[in-house]
Amino acid sequence: MRLRFISPFAVLGWLLFPTIFAAVGLFVLNRPGETPDQVAYGVLGGGLVGYWGVAYLDGGFGIQSERWNGTLEQIFAAPTPFWVILAGKSVGSVLWGMLSFVPTLALAFFGFHAVVPHLNGGAFAASFAVLSFSFLCVAFGFAPLFALWRWAVPMINGFELGFYLLCGFMFPVTILPLWAQGFAAALAPTWATTAIYAATTSSGPHYFAYWWAAAIALSLAYLVGAWWLYRLVDRKARISGELALA
Amino acid sequence: MNKGPAIEARELRKTYLNTRGVFRRQKVEHAALQGVDLSVERGELFGLLGPNGAGKTTMVKIFTTLLLPSSGSAQILGLDAIHNPRAVRKRIGFVFGGERGLYWRLSGLDNLRYFADLYQIPPDLSRRRIAELLDALGLKGREHDKVEGYSRGMKQRLHLARGLLNEPEVLFLDEPTIGLDPVGGRELRALVRRLADEGVTIFLTTHYMLEADAICDRIAVIKKGEVVAEGTPSSIKTVVQDQGVVEFETDGLAAGRIESLRSLEDVSTVIVEERDVAQVVTIHCTSPGDLAAGLGALLDGQQIRKLAVREPTLEDAYVQLIGEST
Repeated sequence: MRLRFISPFAVLGWLLFPTIFAAVGLFVLNRPGETPDQVAYGVLGGGLVGYWGVAYLDGGFGIQSERWNGTLEQIFAAPTPFWVILAGKSVGSVLWGMLSFVPTLALAFFGFHAVVPHLNGGAFAASFAVLSFSFLCVAFGFAPLFALWRWAVPMINGFELGFYLLCGFMFPVTILPLWAQGFAAALAPTWATTAIYAATTSSGPHYFAYWWAAAIALSLAYLVGAWWLYRLVDRKARISGELALA
Repeated sequence: MNKGPAIEARELRKTYLNTRGVFRRQKVEHAALQGVDLSVERGELFGLLGPNGAGKTTMVKIFTTLLLPSSGSAQILGLDAIHNPRAVRKRIGFVFGGERGLYWRLSGLDNLRYFADLYQIPPDLSRRRIAELLDALGLKGREHDKVEGYSRGMKQRLHLARGLLNEPEVLFLDEPTIGLDPVGGRELRALVRRLADEGVTIFLTTHYMLEADAICDRIAVIKKGEVVAEGTPSSIKTVVQDQGVVEFETDGLAAGRIESLRSLEDVSTVIVEERDVAQVVTIHCTSPGDLAAGLGALLDGQQIRKLAVREPTLEDAYVQLIGEST
């Protein structure tokens, strides 16, 4: 956490980028005549994008920066299992990512006088917890890829943007083409995000239990995949020596 | 309690697969270790000497559980380093040379605290241990400074403090004095010797002969993944006991003349080292006096400066074993 606190790049992740996304979202969606649902996307969208970006990117780049520091081998060869260390880092990334809501909600409230049109507090809190769990599982599940394969790092931005588009952080997934909605349905954050936005509007269906169950089940499936990946890291990294920089 | 060797390798082999080419990629095998047998007793300070690429770091990485060998066995304190890495990790420490391997944007103290957590050292013990190490390694007073402001020697001492956090029974040091100034190198060597005297088994890789000669109890020389000699520094020197060394300085010594020196019957090795604008020629041979006397005639017209005949050192034995000559 301390490394994140002092890193200028971390500030970009939780402060600058989400604020830009929030500003664009609020300009577009917080205009007279827009529906309350759209205002909710404007208010929360930037924060969700920032939250996702920090939770996911910190996981991946965290591993890469350990490699650059030359500390990846040091932590791998410590008695604490590698997956425990990366789980701790992923929890740190998720907690750190929540900071993204500070500038974005402040901008919405003070800059645009925009608030969510309705708030079902209990459902919102539960949905947010499920979303956080799904982010944690994705970040934790992807982390071993970056430990194992140096070439995975260039893909990182592609995945980040793919999740922006598919998970409905700034617009409803239903406006995507049907084929894209199929991909979106396979992503745990999509269901948790749907639940979050449903908790901020009085209209539309409110199938919270169903959305939470889908998000949790998919997240658990990612954890199963991660368990396999971590076993692979334990073995393959020791064969190829990929943990060293050179 | 197991009282066998601290480190034991049997028929240790490691082959890396590299790829070549962009469009037509080819996989190429590179043998880093070729059936190494090695045994280090408890409390011993053991030095592994070899040129770059000889397999020193590969061996250390196998012993520290960072790499799996392609075949063979590696045991640390009687524990299988291949199949039981977690048990080994608790009882060893390791320090790789160079400045990397630390969090530069954190303080030295934070670095040590973080690694103490990873080594599962209880907080009370870790506080005490860190304070002792900072004191012993001369970092006290600078522990709150960011590592990026440390000198190279301080970074290396911080590395060593990290490696000693868990009070390891076996400490692996991979070229720990690389890049240090002479004073820093000497201090580190004294510290390593002191640790060995306190009972810590130390496995040190280096290509500094003086370092190995000064502090190691035993030495192995590795060449192209094979151990070519093993013993005490003085026993290694016997490789060249019937030889002497002729050294001189010259300029622009032609390749043909170097070859003619090499072809002499009693000459075993000729090394030509470029030093600034001059060439320093070192010849290992059985009759150094005769060779020195006849050198002027042999190198007809070649300017010879600083001609000297001397006894062979560990470095000469090493060169003989490695067979490196240019």
